Amino acid sequence: MAIATQASSAGPLAIAAQAPLLEFRNIRIVYDNAIEAIRDVSITVPEGGIVALLGANGAGKSTLLKAMSGILYTEEGVIENGDIRFRDQDVHHLSPDDLVRRGIVQVPEGRRLFAALTIDENLQMGGYTRTAADARERRDKVFALFPRLYERRDQIAGYMSGGEQQMLAIGRALMTDPVLLALDEPSLGLAPLIIDRIYDVIVRLRDELKMTVLLVEQNAQRALDIADYGYILETGRVVLDGTAKKLTSNEDVQEFYLGVSASGRKSLRDVKHYKRRKRWLS
Amino acid sequence: MQYLLQLLISGLAIGAIYGLIAMGFAVIYKSTGLVNFAQGEMTMITAYIAWTISTTVSGNVVVVSLGAILGAILLGLVIERVVMRPMLGEPVFATVMVTIGLAVILRSAINFIWDAYPHSLDVGMGREIVRVGNIGVRTGQIAVIVTLLALLAAIWAFFRYSKIGVAMRAVAADDRTALLMGISATRVHALAWAASSVIAGIGGVFFALSYDLSPAMFQLGLKAFPATILGGLDAVLGSGLGGLLIGITENLAGGYIGSGMKEVAGFAMIIVVLMIRPFGIFGQRDIERV
Repeated sequence: MAIATQASSAGPLAIAAQAPLLEFRNIRIVYDNAIEAIRDVSITVPEGGIVALLGANGAGKSTLLKAMSGILYTEEGVIENGDIRFRDQDVHHLSPDDLVRRGIVQVPEGRRLFAALTIDENLQMGGYTRTAADARERRDKVFALFPRLYERRDQIAGYMSGGEQQMLAIGRALMTDPVLLALDEPSLGLAPLIIDRIYDVIVRLRDELKMTVLLVEQNAQRALDIADYGYILETGRVVLDGTAKKLTSNEDVQEFYLGVSASGRKSLRDVKHYKRRKRWLS
Repeated sequence: MQYLLQLLISGLAIGAIYGLIAMGFAVIYKSTGLVNFAQGEMTMITAYIAWTISTTVSGNVVVVSLGAILGAILLGLVIERVVMRPMLGEPVFATVMVTIGLAVILRSAINFIWDAYPHSLDVGMGREIVRVGNIGVRTGQIAVIVTLLALLAAIWAFFRYSKIGVAMRAVAADDRTALLMGISATRVHALAWAASSVIAGIGGVFFALSYDLSPAMFQLGLKAFPATILGGLDAVLGSGLGGLLIGITENLAGGYIGSGMKEVAGFAMIIVVLMIRPFGIFGQRDIERV
């Protein structure tokens, strides 16, 4: 019962003292005129922090990112209600390249590199909207952040290891000179040691480059470790939100997402889905 | 020996025309992932545009070439905007069927707009015969071979070094991710259609210069398509070279085996090559590990 009162659509009051950088307001997204993927979701991303968006498969996390980047239409998705505000302007009708120019970029799920292009060419494509001189400068910065990419810059991207591919995907997104960087499951399919390295970079982006990060993860533990604030999404709606510390200590989050409970570690399979829903929403 | 050389030279010349049209196929495939079955028809229309300019405006080589290039660009852009863009995001099969429909329409358009009689394209040069040793070559034939080689080099550099060229490859590889990087896929597609139309159109004009115009010219597309398959659908340079190969094979088969073999030889060669290299001689195998 206590949980329901915590979940509020007003957003994180503590951090949102200044105007938020990105805001989803009461948004509803429908695919194919039939499937409601997101219902009445409000999410606030304040400038300069890491906001984690957590939830299981099919919760609607990637759908929100696609809406943010203006590519919902490629999958017959439509924003039926609400709006997306960036720097206090409604941006949900803008074209993908317009959004990139304004500083919104995402690293898509599964990295989606241009596999047949070289590392250098992948980065060049990240800098497509920048001038040549600007792109060169940014590329040097990316190489400084990921020296491994510099060593292999003339190789074909598709042949790199999973960790290197994720670095390149992040580097390519950084080429756009983003204000807001969204990452869709950066830990997917990577070894724990590699995930550590990727997460270190994400923290550096926030702390050293003052970048705002929207981190979408299934791996709740990892994400809450570095995030400032978190939202938990289930079947298209926000069921819980709060500071990362608060979420980590929440009993239900511990049980369902972090795999620990009062009675020790527990498998997700033990929990019947309907029971989980009931618990969040009652 | 002289017979062989003569066959080789004229094979190279017709092969260069196939090669140019084949490159047209490959440019569109490489940046949109589509096979454009109306390529031969677009080639024919560009040649007719050149002929119209030569008979109504001026027969000057420069005027005709510039006019034909402009016409080809316009043709490519209009087709992309009116016919192909509404198909964006639809299944590839449906989109390819649309190009087949477009092919039939363009073929008939020749009869509506022009007429069904053969015409000769006269720009005041290209038909003179130059003697190299004791082999006679028409200047138009030399010009088309040189043009093909020059375009091969230019296009190689374009896809390798220019930002828009790399973007064309990126859009072909993954158009949604290209969107996420701020690359406008529609602009890239429009450019590909315009470029393809121009490259193939140059082939068509050279053909008209040596062999006359007729509404049957669209068949050049049927000859050039094997060249593209042979070179690799995604290999623009390979397609150009594939054209030369088909041209030579055709001519040798026609000259030594019998004229009936001429039509078949190219296709016979493709079957053999595809059995050994299903992705074409210069085509790229898909990268499995992603």
